[in-house]
Amino acid sequence: MAVPVEINHVKAQGIIRITWDDGYSCEYTKEYLRGYCPCALCQGHTAAVEKRFVEVPNVELDVIEPVGNYAIGFRWSDGHVTGIYTFDYLRSLCPRGECEKS
Amino acid sequence: MALFGRRFWQRNAEGEKRSDMSSATQESVLAALGTVQDPELHKDIVTLGMVKDLAVAGGKVSLTVELTTPACPLKDQIKADVERALAPLGVTELALEFGAQVRGSKAGAGTTDLLPSVKNIVLVASGKGGVGKSTVAANLAVALQRHGASVGLLDADIYGPSVPILMGVNEEPGKVEVDDGYKLAPPVAHGVPVMSIGFFLERDQAVIWRGPMLGKALQQLMSDVHWGELDYLVVDMPPGTGDVQITFSQQLKCSGAVLVATPQDVALADVVRAKSMFDKVHIPIVGMVENMSYFVCDGCGKQHEIFSRGGAQRAADSFGVPFLGEIPMVSAIREWGDKGVPILAQEPDSPTGKAFLEAAARLAGQLSVASEAAEGAPGLKIVTT
Ligand SMILES: Nc1ncnc2c1ncn2[C@@H]1O[C@H](COP(=O)(O)OP(=O)(O)O)[C@@H](O)[C@H]1O
Ligand SMILES: [Mg+2]
Ligand SMILES: [Zn+2]
Repeated sequence: MAVPVEINHVKAQGIIRITWDDGYSCEYTKEYLRGYCPCALCQGHTAAVEKRFVEVPNVELDVIEPVGNYAIGFRWSDGHVTGIYTFDYLRSLCPRGECEKS
Repeated sequence: MALFGRRFWQRNAEGEKRSDMSSATQESVLAALGTVQDPELHKDIVTLGMVKDLAVAGGKVSLTVELTTPACPLKDQIKADVERALAPLGVTELALEFGAQVRGSKAGAGTTDLLPSVKNIVLVASGKGGVGKSTVAANLAVALQRHGASVGLLDADIYGPSVPILMGVNEEPGKVEVDDGYKLAPPVAHGVPVMSIGFFLERDQAVIWRGPMLGKALQQLMSDVHWGELDYLVVDMPPGTGDVQITFSQQLKCSGAVLVATPQDVALADVVRAKSMFDKVHIPIVGMVENMSYFVCDGCGKQHEIFSRGGAQRAADSFGVPFLGEIPMVSAIREWGDKGVPILAQEPDSPTGKAFLEAAARLAGQLSVASEAAEGAPGLKIVTT
């Protein structure tokens, strides 16, 4: 199980870059991360077979906070805070898809 | 200067006759000590910073080895290794003392740490109720305290808070003045400060505790208690997996979890479920304990095997986690427990008492290993650029 060592919010480009302890790095746009919020409000209460995308155009990322030893919480400009993104989930979200293979 | 020491070491090792004058110098002694490994941490005791107050005068050497826990199970081995390492230097008098400075083992990415004055937080968990989780938690806490550590015991079992009974606590927590107001002072029993979620609820109210009410009580339990400086906080968790586990994993920096199981239930799905829940929240399992492992007969005092004894050891092996020990089934555990006396406090020299002392020492050893790993871990950097 990979663990992030650095999370870089590159504001000017609107991207979040996560570097993992196995050397991989993943880049997500803020809209993409907000869209795939894992919380029950966004994903519904069914087991997530298919990830649902919630469109929030021009959303801003305000705060990044670790949750325990296993997840990250994001505070979004639309007031949404309920998503707890586990490391595994973040890794599986990597848009390049390559990370998942490792 | 290290080379200088090595030269003496080699010359002596080659069998050259020892001179009347001892060859021991500060440097040669340090170099020799650098060959002594901490058996658990797999590094030498000089690199680990465990050698303190070293004085060398003629053939007389005195030093303190500062262990990473007073409950260190390996004192004798370290002592023998030090003696062996110094022998070639012609040391005539060795005064070796042991000290202990417990290191923190709060690893991981989380930044929330509601209990910064507590060095190690250990969650005692089980797949289901009735396996002796509370009994093990209470006795491990007292055992760590008997080994010389400062220990607290926190009862977070919302379904059946039994720690006050097991520890014989009758009084409510007091109040203590701190910088910004008041905090709760845990009553002390058998040398261990004790706090229980049971103090916050009316009898039989626990089962209906859900959502915000539970959240508020847990919050109080985590942040409103004045523990002071603790080496270890042992937490009696609710059985299974649920809200309390999630809350603790998010709000506290936990060192690790101890899984308690009886020989019969280790193969069952709920132990595996408990294990995978801790995996999911990145809290390491620092050990498994098998409770009611074998049966000590009241009448004849003999050990009787229990079918499937050793199940927890096998489960620990298959999980790849340390096994801490077997606790026998003896009626004295229940009888003394009902009277508010952990068996260890009553019979420290009995086989049961020893089993708890040894399990606690192994646990402390595992936490030292975890603290070593925590120190090397990269940690999580969050930046905005
Ligand atoms: N090793 C043991 N030998 C005999 N009785 C035990 C032993 N461990 C626990 N018990 C008894 O079993 C009952 C359940 O133990 P308890 O610690 O309350 O379990 P849990 O917290 O897992 O529900 C108690 O009456 C306790 O005294
Ligand atoms: Mg219990
Ligand atoms: Zn959401």
